[in-house]
Amino acid sequence: MRSSTEPRHDGWTDAAHDTAHLVGFRARTVRRPGAAAFGALVAIGLTLVFALAPAAFDTGALDQPALTRATASLRDNLGAAFIGVLLLAVSSSMSSGGGRELLSRSEAAIHPLSPVTEHLGALLLAPLNLAWLVQTWALLAVTALVAPTGRLLGAQVVVLAWVLAATALGQAIGWVAEGVRRTPHGVVTVRVAAGVVVVALAGLHLAGALGSIVRSLPTTWVAETAQTSSWPLVVVVLLGVFGAAVALGVRPAAWALGLPPREELRVQSGVHEARHAPEPRWGSPERALLRRLDRGSVWRSVGMRRGLVVLGLGPGLVALVAGLQWSSVMLLPGLTASGAALLFGVNAWCLDGKGMVWRETLPVAAGDVFDVRALVVLECMAAVSAATVVMALLRNGPPPLVVGVSVAACWLVVLVQVLAIVMSWSVRSPYSADLSSPRATPAPHAAMAGYAGKLSLVTTLTGMVFTTVSTGPWAWLPAVLALPFLAWSGWRLVRARRRWLAPEERARVVLTVAAV
Amino acid sequence: MTQPPAVVVRDLHVRFGDVEAVSGVDLTADSGRATALLGRNGAGKSTTMKVLAGVVPPTSGAVTVAGRDAATDALGVKRVVGYCPDVGGLVPRATPWEHLQLSARLRRMDAWEERGRDLLERFELGDVAHRVVGGFSHGMSRRLSVVLAALHEPSVLLLDEPFDGVDPLGVEATLEVVADARARGACVLLSTHLRDLALEACGDAVVLRGGNRVAAMEATDLTGETYRALLD
Repeated sequence: MRSSTEPRHDGWTDAAHDTAHLVGFRARTVRRPGAAAFGALVAIGLTLVFALAPAAFDTGALDQPALTRATASLRDNLGAAFIGVLLLAVSSSMSSGGGRELLSRSEAAIHPLSPVTEHLGALLLAPLNLAWLVQTWALLAVTALVAPTGRLLGAQVVVLAWVLAATALGQAIGWVAEGVRRTPHGVVTVRVAAGVVVVALAGLHLAGALGSIVRSLPTTWVAETAQTSSWPLVVVVLLGVFGAAVALGVRPAAWALGLPPREELRVQSGVHEARHAPEPRWGSPERALLRRLDRGSVWRSVGMRRGLVVLGLGPGLVALVAGLQWSSVMLLPGLTASGAALLFGVNAWCLDGKGMVWRETLPVAAGDVFDVRALVVLECMAAVSAATVVMALLRNGPPPLVVGVSVAACWLVVLVQVLAIVMSWSVRSPYSADLSSPRATPAPHAAMAGYAGKLSLVTTLTGMVFTTVSTGPWAWLPAVLALPFLAWSGWRLVRARRRWLAPEERARVVLTVAAV
Repeated sequence: MTQPPAVVVRDLHVRFGDVEAVSGVDLTADSGRATALLGRNGAGKSTTMKVLAGVVPPTSGAVTVAGRDAATDALGVKRVVGYCPDVGGLVPRATPWEHLQLSARLRRMDAWEERGRDLLERFELGDVAHRVVGGFSHGMSRRLSVVLAALHEPSVLLLDEPFDGVDPLGVEATLEVVADARARGACVLLSTHLRDLALEACGDAVVLRGGNRVAAMEATDLTGETYRALLD
């Protein structure tokens, strides 16, 4: 038997074995395996529905010129949608410090995990992401809608191969960005580079050149060939790209993980000069002080700050550059609010970490603590979704009255909806989580996947309801329709608050979050 | 006239699901005295402390802290208690000064800054008063937890493993805090595995085993052999 102290080569085989052990370990620690299995089945089922159901619609037979034009536009822009998946993979891995981790940093510190294992783990966890799931489903649905009869299977296999290749490429680029970030002046370099890319894209768009450039990229060939009998060739090419990206990604991963996490260390040793206690115009000073502490816990975390900025700007820029219509924009506030909630809101008490015990010894009403935490979660969701709506407003101009009321009502409904859901989860299923690393998540990965799926489903369905209403002539209808949604979510929020006020329940949450 | 004990615990039971963390502890602690709470890991010391701090409600039994019932008036208990938890106890992305400010404001303290500064200096944390605690060492975090427990001069001071990972200067400062609290008439309960330090800080000792109290005596009577025998 090989001794654990003998030198190891940390090759791919060892790394694959280690990754399998870690996945097995995580799988065994899932609290509700039945629910996890059901969630996985639902995700697979939804994937099949998105991949197959749209093909049943024969848009040509409906004889509606607007629908035919929209389908033709989707077909023409399928290559751009492929690029969108790649950009999303890059931004996800960049904002999460190279990618998610199978074991948290403190848990992994005692184990001999190689960078190859870290890289493979991050790749495996990439799909457990709200934006990744939504974008993949959207790409499958659009492909099913535009693919010719008899070519659907090949086209969807190409889509899956592209998603794999894009995820691996995004992962490799994410590691490079994280490596640069960990060098002296690296944080500024990455921020400047990201800013230059955004400005360049906006400039090209304003000059009217972005569309033709995107259409000239190889993804157009991928999208077109996928719908022909040559699709196996594309799959082979994409799997080759996937393999190469996985193999090459190890180098920047090893480089990045070998450097000290400069930004996190800077934040952890950050100095914040004393400020006077707040004297709010309304509300008690004590609540204001709690609010300041909670806001500090959000904005002084590298991962949360980065995530909020990406969520605030990303979908808004897509709406701005791609010129999304209000009917599509209606879905975005719910998705961005869900994304913000997934940063910490789904386990809102983890903001305090082990300090939760100390917080609980403070002589302050439990109701105040709940209200302030809910308000801070709401602020984050409102801020990122507001950015999306404002950028859509800049692109499209003021909408017609009925559409404007629908957008406002939908936005309000999804905010309260997501808040009620995540505060209920926070009280019902708390977890101990250390969010000091941007690679960390507020809950275990299986739970995060379930949370992402449920939030995206609920908010998308709500958005679709208001999109339908916005096509009608009655401006009062969206506002009236919002009332039952708000009443239901408000009741759920009150129920979660009541549960938190029970001393036994609160003690359970405190001891679980603080892990004592 | 004899003063009633500051802490009275009668037949305390605490249950977490199927696990009974504390099973029938009886305990009294007087004002102006320091009592050491000793016992092996899992003896129920920290859970008892959490009940006394108002963090965990008792499953059954009677718990009175400075005349307040921990089961029905947890908020009142929190006002009179200063508690240093056994693990962590700090909000990771806040500074020591922000911790002190929040604690003081919620207890309606007006002139707390000077005492806060003094305590930070005594525990050699003055230089890092405005630095986020997430980057603190374990010992620094423990020292700050003691500062936070002592800031408002509570009538009941609960210190759970305050010496864990703390350097000799920090130990000295903690012993001073205990002595100061006793001198102004506060009741101190100190949980630790370190018998020698417990004897140095406290006049009384209570030993817990398996969630029960197995002995209560003057600290000087708790010799190494006696303690060892009580643990088995």
